[in-house]
Amino acid sequence: MADFEIKDLRVGVEGREILKGVSLQVNRGEVHAVMGPNGSGKSTLSNALMGHPSYQVLGGEVLLNGQSLLELQPDQRARLGLYLAFQYPIVVPGVTMANFLRTALNAQRGYDGKDKAKAIGPKEFRELLAEPMNTLRIDKSFLSRYVNEGFSGGEKKRAEILQMAVLRPTMALLDETDSGLDIDSIKYVSESINSMRGGELGILIITHYTRILKFIQPDYVHVLVNGQVVRSGGSEVADQLENTGYSEWVDEPAAAAAVAEEV
Amino acid sequence: MTALVLSAADELAGLHDEPAWLRAKRRQAFAVYERLPLPQRTEEEWRRTSLKGLDLDAFQAFEAAGASAPATPIADTAGVLRQSGSEPGKVEIDPELSRAGVLFVPLSQAAREYPELVQKHLFQEVRPDRDKLAALHAALFSGGTFLYVPDGVSIAKPFVSQFWSSTGGALVLPHTLIIAGRGSSFNHVDEFLSPDLEQPSLTSGSAEIFAGEASNVGYVALQRWGNHAWQFADERARLEKDSTVRMVHAGLGARFSKNRVEASLNGPGARAELKALYFGTGQQFFDFHTLQQHVVGHSTSDLLFKGALREQAQSVYAGLIRIEVGASGSDAYQANRNLLLSNQAKANSIPMLEIMNNDVRCTHGATVGPVDPEHLFYLESRGIPPMVAQRMVVHGFFGQVLERIPVQQARELVEQELEDRIGF
Repeated sequence: MADFEIKDLRVGVEGREILKGVSLQVNRGEVHAVMGPNGSGKSTLSNALMGHPSYQVLGGEVLLNGQSLLELQPDQRARLGLYLAFQYPIVVPGVTMANFLRTALNAQRGYDGKDKAKAIGPKEFRELLAEPMNTLRIDKSFLSRYVNEGFSGGEKKRAEILQMAVLRPTMALLDETDSGLDIDSIKYVSESINSMRGGELGILIITHYTRILKFIQPDYVHVLVNGQVVRSGGSEVADQLENTGYSEWVDEPAAAAAVAEEV
Repeated sequence: MTALVLSAADELAGLHDEPAWLRAKRRQAFAVYERLPLPQRTEEEWRRTSLKGLDLDAFQAFEAAGASAPATPIADTAGVLRQSGSEPGKVEIDPELSRAGVLFVPLSQAAREYPELVQKHLFQEVRPDRDKLAALHAALFSGGTFLYVPDGVSIAKPFVSQFWSSTGGALVLPHTLIIAGRGSSFNHVDEFLSPDLEQPSLTSGSAEIFAGEASNVGYVALQRWGNHAWQFADERARLEKDSTVRMVHAGLGARFSKNRVEASLNGPGARAELKALYFGTGQQFFDFHTLQQHVVGHSTSDLLFKGALREQAQSVYAGLIRIEVGASGSDAYQANRNLLLSNQAKANSIPMLEIMNNDVRCTHGATVGPVDPEHLFYLESRGIPPMVAQRMVVHGFFGQVLERIPVQQARELVEQELEDRIGF
């Protein structure tokens, strides 16, 4: 059994079935990419895996290290090691990044406000943040800002990867992490992700375009069309897509150009 | 034991050893009180506010000093006034400040010793004839604070007045009068405090602020009356040229709380910041009426009222921006945001504009709704349990107001009070 298994997952939104039986297996140390055109169900996949309340699971199973996830709340899934880097990170007014990160770390450690020995100390907190903040070129002042409020597109995505680096998940879903990124940000983000890859971490990159895959080489590529995986293979699948686009499956003018996009 | 009769005004004046002119003022206000009926729901201001259950005959005119008050949490002060029930307050002030001409004394003492200063200002902005309850406050106010800061004097530490009520069944109506000299700068905190008591009380906590030219005044009202209280109060600031007034109201206590918060901008360059937060639980009811009155132009007012309501708590907000004919170049902002934390909680919000001059910038807005599920999902996706996530979002919601409380210890106190109420 793989470390992360999606078995015949079917998901609906507002009564419409979007994912029509998706199966994927990701082992620790591996990087997978799920590629697909608009409307193929990419966002549904990432949201449903994390447990967004607007997505109804209609069938199937998801296992992380043998533990079934679908009956669990989002926070329980996260504490088991699942992470979602959001396509559109949410602004949470009045909550500072520092408070947010510290609370998330404490939750992971089982600190419920009582046993102070479990809470992360200020020194350890600073040390945990130092390296990823440096790699991601994130300034200290960022910690006293409110979560994602007034962040540029690049800052938001870098903040997502910072959280990932701090929380150290065993399975990370990166939803369109390169969209809205300027060229500098994409370098910092992929540098940070590449420094984490391997070891205990499995990564699933969800993307329309091949751009980010030039920076983070996937071991496996899956093509998602109309709620189903229509092809799986090695990184050569992404190379093909760059030439042909999704035109094999959907009517998409200028598809090749759209998949390659300017880097 | 004294009911709400004319002789009560004299008794209170006697208790506070007030001069004849103030005694006469009380009597005049009492006549207004007797003449006016209770506000009716046919009046626009009271349309959503019910006084059902308010029985003025059930109250004693004043409250004897009772059990001693808890220590005020604000330790590092320029001066402290403590008043229990309707008895005259006791003051401690930094002697340096007294030498610099700062006056921080019980209101009745100021009326005796500085009549020219007090007479000119007292009940000029908070008008006794506004309605029956305002008249009652002026007729039977139970002392309060007088703070005068001379021209050019800047004071970093805050002044704190604590009004404590411990028995219930009576009127407790403190009044604050603040006069800021030209270019002066200081903060004042009023704390209104009582435990939850058996018998209903009628309380206020009205304040008049006169901000002289280029002065900078911070005023914080911590309304922490017990859940037996009917509270009616008027807070009103008058701003002269280039002055800045920042008022923050924290509505935490009382079963019923009706507050008018108003600023009149009377000089160019004046800037009024009106902020409030309120948190209702159980059966609490809050009513805020606000006024940003731009009498002259090139003045700014910025209002933000934020409230959260749990259980069956309810709130009414009605705010008016009024730009007078000559007030061109005014900027006025008004926002009221309400967070409903239960299905039964209710918030009404009515922003209003009255603009007599077109050369102005005004924005206003109101929102009423539950906690945004996307906020919760985002926090939970990082492993934060739902209860903790909810607490963070609610706390964060108040952040914009909390950060404007000019006195750190007052801010911490309010944060703690909010935490206790959020306590899911």
